[in-house]
Amino acid sequence: MDHLAHVSNLRSSQSQTQISHLALDIGGSLIKLVYFCRYDDSCRDDGDELRSQNDSLCSKSDNNQPVLEGRLHFAKFETSKINDCLDFLRSMKLCLGGSHDGTAPPSDKIFIKATGGGAYKFADLFKEKLGVSLDKEDEMECLVTGANFLLKAVHQEAFTYLDGQKEFVQIDPNDLYPYLLVNIGSGVSMIKVDGDGKFERVSGTSLGGGTFWGLGRLLTKCKNFDELLELSHQGNNRIVDMLVGDIYGGTDYAKIGLSSTTIASSFGKAISDSKELEDYQPEDVSRSLLRMISNNIGQISYLNALRFGLKRIFFAGFFIRGHAYTMDTISVAVNFWSKGEAKAMFLRHEGFLGALGAFMSYEKQCLDGLMVHKMQQKFPISASSAGDNIYCSLSSNSDENGSIECTVYGT
Amino acid sequence: MGNWELSDQVNFRSKQLLQGGKNIVGLMAGLNGDPILGIDDKIEDLHYKNNNNSNEVQGLNLTLARPKSKAILRKGILPFLLPNQSDDISHLALDIGGSLIKLIYFSRHEDQSVEDKRKKTVKERLGISNGNRRSYPVLGGRLHFVKFETSKLNECLDFISSKQLHCGRFDSHHWNSETPANENAVIKATGGGAYKFADLFKERLGVSIEKEDEMDCLVAGANFLLKAIRHEAFTHMEGHKEFVQIDHNDLYPYLLVNIGSGVSIIKVDGDGKFQRVSGTNVGGGTYWGLGRLLTKCNSFDELLELSQRGDNGTIDMLVGDIYGGMDYSKIGLSASTIASSFGKAISDKKELEDYRPEDISLSLLRMISYNIGQISYLNALRFGLKRIFFGGFFIRGHAYTMDTISFAVQFWSQGEAQAMFLRHEGYLGALGAFMSYQKHGLDDLMVHHLVERFPMGAPYTGGRIHGPPLGDLNEKISWMEKFVQKGTEITAPVPMAPPGTTGLGGFEVPSSRGATLRSDASALNVGVLHLVPTLEVFPLLTNPKMYEPNTIDLSDHKELEYWFTILSEHLPDLVDKAVASEGGIDDAKRRGDAFARAFSAHLARLMEEPAAYGNLGSANLSLYKKLTFRCLCTYNLLNRLMEEPAAYGKLGLANLLELREECLREFQFHDAYRSIKQRENEASLAVLPDLLLELDHMDEETRLLTLIEGVLAANIFDWGSRACVDLYHKGTIIEIYRMSRNKMQRPWRANDFDIFKERMLGSEGKKPKPHKRALLFVDNSGADVVLGMLPLARELLRRGTEVVLVANSLPALNDVTAMELPDIVAEAAKHCDILRRAAEAGGLLVDAMTNTLDGLKGNSSSVPLMVVENGCGSPCIDLRQVSSELAAAAKNADLVILEGMG
Repeated sequence: MDHLAHVSNLRSSQSQTQISHLALDIGGSLIKLVYFCRYDDSCRDDGDELRSQNDSLCSKSDNNQPVLEGRLHFAKFETSKINDCLDFLRSMKLCLGGSHDGTAPPSDKIFIKATGGGAYKFADLFKEKLGVSLDKEDEMECLVTGANFLLKAVHQEAFTYLDGQKEFVQIDPNDLYPYLLVNIGSGVSMIKVDGDGKFERVSGTSLGGGTFWGLGRLLTKCKNFDELLELSHQGNNRIVDMLVGDIYGGTDYAKIGLSSTTIASSFGKAISDSKELEDYQPEDVSRSLLRMISNNIGQISYLNALRFGLKRIFFAGFFIRGHAYTMDTISVAVNFWSKGEAKAMFLRHEGFLGALGAFMSYEKQCLDGLMVHKMQQKFPISASSAGDNIYCSLSSNSDENGSIECTVYGT
Repeated sequence: MGNWELSDQVNFRSKQLLQGGKNIVGLMAGLNGDPILGIDDKIEDLHYKNNNNSNEVQGLNLTLARPKSKAILRKGILPFLLPNQSDDISHLALDIGGSLIKLIYFSRHEDQSVEDKRKKTVKERLGISNGNRRSYPVLGGRLHFVKFETSKLNECLDFISSKQLHCGRFDSHHWNSETPANENAVIKATGGGAYKFADLFKERLGVSIEKEDEMDCLVAGANFLLKAIRHEAFTHMEGHKEFVQIDHNDLYPYLLVNIGSGVSIIKVDGDGKFQRVSGTNVGGGTYWGLGRLLTKCNSFDELLELSQRGDNGTIDMLVGDIYGGMDYSKIGLSASTIASSFGKAISDKKELEDYRPEDISLSLLRMISYNIGQISYLNALRFGLKRIFFGGFFIRGHAYTMDTISFAVQFWSQGEAQAMFLRHEGYLGALGAFMSYQKHGLDDLMVHHLVERFPMGAPYTGGRIHGPPLGDLNEKISWMEKFVQKGTEITAPVPMAPPGTTGLGGFEVPSSRGATLRSDASALNVGVLHLVPTLEVFPLLTNPKMYEPNTIDLSDHKELEYWFTILSEHLPDLVDKAVASEGGIDDAKRRGDAFARAFSAHLARLMEEPAAYGNLGSANLSLYKKLTFRCLCTYNLLNRLMEEPAAYGKLGLANLLELREECLREFQFHDAYRSIKQRENEASLAVLPDLLLELDHMDEETRLLTLIEGVLAANIFDWGSRACVDLYHKGTIIEIYRMSRNKMQRPWRANDFDIFKERMLGSEGKKPKPHKRALLFVDNSGADVVLGMLPLARELLRRGTEVVLVANSLPALNDVTAMELPDIVAEAAKHCDILRRAAEAGGLLVDAMTNTLDGLKGNSSSVPLMVVENGCGSPCIDLRQVSSELAAAAKNADLVILEGMG
């Protein structure tokens, strides 16, 4: 991730922007930010061909309630580079507390909603560096709130990915529950969601994104997560993995449904003492690692879905990054173990569930519930009448730079 | 062996024993159902046989489970054996996995085809027929467990070829000089390698591989182990190991998780009824593969050992790391819970070189073990299974691995499901393949047919054998000597013997194995399984399930320490005696030393303290190794405490004593107390007539009491007891006997004498009804049997009760054996008509019976005195595993007198 470039980009294009709401999800590896900018002229300057559509949508506003128009921005930083994040926030002239006149209250009275373990760990740092207090929101609650919001309110949020085919799934908001939410961050949490605020963390695994990146770093000397992921594209895991065919001399073990290309043992070929780490291509190692972890997550998720009779599994978290092969492997695992019964689905805003959930928790505090409140309340109605209430301009390369920009209209 | 007591001077134990009481047990046995009939009436000779004789072994009973007629057809055909082959190999099965080859082979017990008179009579009297319920004979023998790395397949092939394991004696029907032995030979094999390497086996050994389905084999092996091996399954939580007694009738369903290179998860519903329900590719191969890449370790075991000194907190991201040291208690995650395995390695401040290999290994181990535990639990849950058995070679008896898996199962199931482990964890597949030879035979074996023994090298090699086996005793001794020598020379760093060295049978000298002395604990847990199909559960046991032969449980550390001290102190004396019994020649001395080392090593293995090295840094490792070897080389083992009392399964004192006897036999000390026993028998027999005369002058009641007192008194003549040894210096046998008999006056600790008296002599107005048959379990040679038990036997005979003397099958300390008893009885009979007539009737007096008509007359007029062996070669008897002739004799017995043997 190129944060500095990202930050400066934001800075140049949105230097005039007033951030009126901000929420953080500070995880073990990444800090996720969601913030809302009201529209003003400078903001409109970076518009594109979507502008006209937006305008037409705005015109539908038909009541007396104040309308906040603006954009929800999504950004992320590595947790280890928390100072970049702090610098960014400082540079953005935080205007928090939500007053509409743009005058910021004294900073020591400012609260920022935050979730993730870092909300506890870095609370003092935020106080010291920015003078703001972190208002801690429960991680699981935020994840669920974020996911529920996205699944209900955002068109084409969920999709399946199998054999290279991405297919959006239309979720009926009235038939959403129950589902299994699998959030793959550094570690993995598996949450059974039964409704708004009704959920239970039923399982999890320590083999997650942190494992992929941590082990990958040690094994390949890659400089960042995305590079490692990129490497796996070109890799061939058969060099490193022991396949059923390797054990059975090229034949399938058909009796129990294992084809010769099934991985019998991840990294199982690396036990050969004729090769050292240097003799393996980083691409192959990365591929093997990715498959191992994706497959494992897929399997444990399926087993938990089975346990509670859940047919839908949504995968989110920053591990996936819209990476085709990752999604493919997870889908295959779920498909394989469930014999086609269960389906793996992915979320376009995969990494920001927690931050989004934290963002939405402002409402409860009545700081300025209006906008969020309206968004939540109105969406179901306008969703049927107007279609896209939230338009997300998902930049085509969002996977690479990690920034997703989203424009939100409250109608 | 009765008052088994080695301690000297004041000791509460000896006091107890001298007060008597506990050593005589009268069982008014209610006759219960038909005991299982003997299957094979042959003596199962546990001796290591003289190598040169192997060619003379009869071809009888060559099949493990073939129709008898075929076995008979082959009678007289000499097995094809190498001159130096010590074991007669009969069966071989392989499990060729991705990383390891597991091999199981069967070696037949040497047949003792001598049908002595005693046995014949016993057989007739007891109604044991040669035929049995099966239509085929089941062969006694030994099951050996060996493993090789798959990458070193050649070592495995060499091993097979040097032992001629592939000769296929069972499957080749053309067993003569015209046809090469292995022309049609077939080896059963499972695992992927059975497919992959089939051609290689054909080419190198000329044998065909017959492939058995892997899952079939795993399940068959697991079912067999869980049903047939006592103390096979155990739990392991927080460092605590506990054996689980599995009820055979309540075994199914269960979940079997086999962790090899990959992991298979199988739901087992019954014999041959199972389904592979899941699996994971994150298994043993992943641990070892990733571990190799990350740590440069040279072996799996090295990697495993590293993990013991690791701290995964330096590399794993813990919940506390994310939450700033706090728990995430709301969802039940403590600060030390791993949130993300290897999650800290994302820091770009540290490279691979900056992490300790120990930490990496532990992090990997936890990641994989925990993951397996979790997936297993989820599958158990799916099918409502409460029991999960983990097998496969990944675990290797490694405490941390088992703890992690157990923790995962416990955590996720909230205590509902239980993780259990198997001592023969790695051999499930191979066992299953082995059992597939014939679909009968082994399957029918029951717990009591199997005796597990730990070979001499076990503490050193971890039970592993690489390269050609040790052919004969001499090699065995040289091996031990060389090992000890090597051990003392070893300095840092890890000594590695060049692979494939020859000499000493090409043994990879175990110096390299010294490093893994502890971590490869599991292999140690696997002894050689002795199949003794003639063994049966003693039919008169009230509740065989509740019966525990060990009166002293060594898992009690105080007991273990106590007995360890005693056994260690007694060792030099035992070695002297053993050497003397073999004429004191140099060869015997060498063997004696080797025995002492081997047994010391067994003891040390039991006593070592895990924490003693748990905290050693790598710098201390070499020092530790040095110390280890020193300790093993000297007898000074006392300062090492309790390593893992469960290293050999659940071990009681009885097992430990048996292990010592086995160890002696392994070095061909067949009877260390031979001369002592002889001397004492003679001395006792010399005074027997006087004693009998004295007894005959007493009235019935006094005589009965005196006889019982005499039994108790005589039982103190035990060479296992130092107190007794001291007594010998104080007077003649009869003096000591009388003296101690006077000490035996009532009250005794357990005192049912009055009841016994009433049964024997009748009460007022009631005529006594003699017992039909009495079983007298005899213990020591000398005064114990001659002055204690024989007079009692005589009294019973006089009252018209059949008497069956039950003695050890094999020598153990100075215990009298079934082989020796007839001679003793014959000698005693010279002075006593009652004994003579009874002995004649029981076929004990061979000469008298065949030579004189008088003898035949006597035969019809007297109840017989018989001798049966108990099937045991240990100072303590295990009534769950007794010989078939004893079981048969017990059928009509209504009086059992047990003296000692516990």
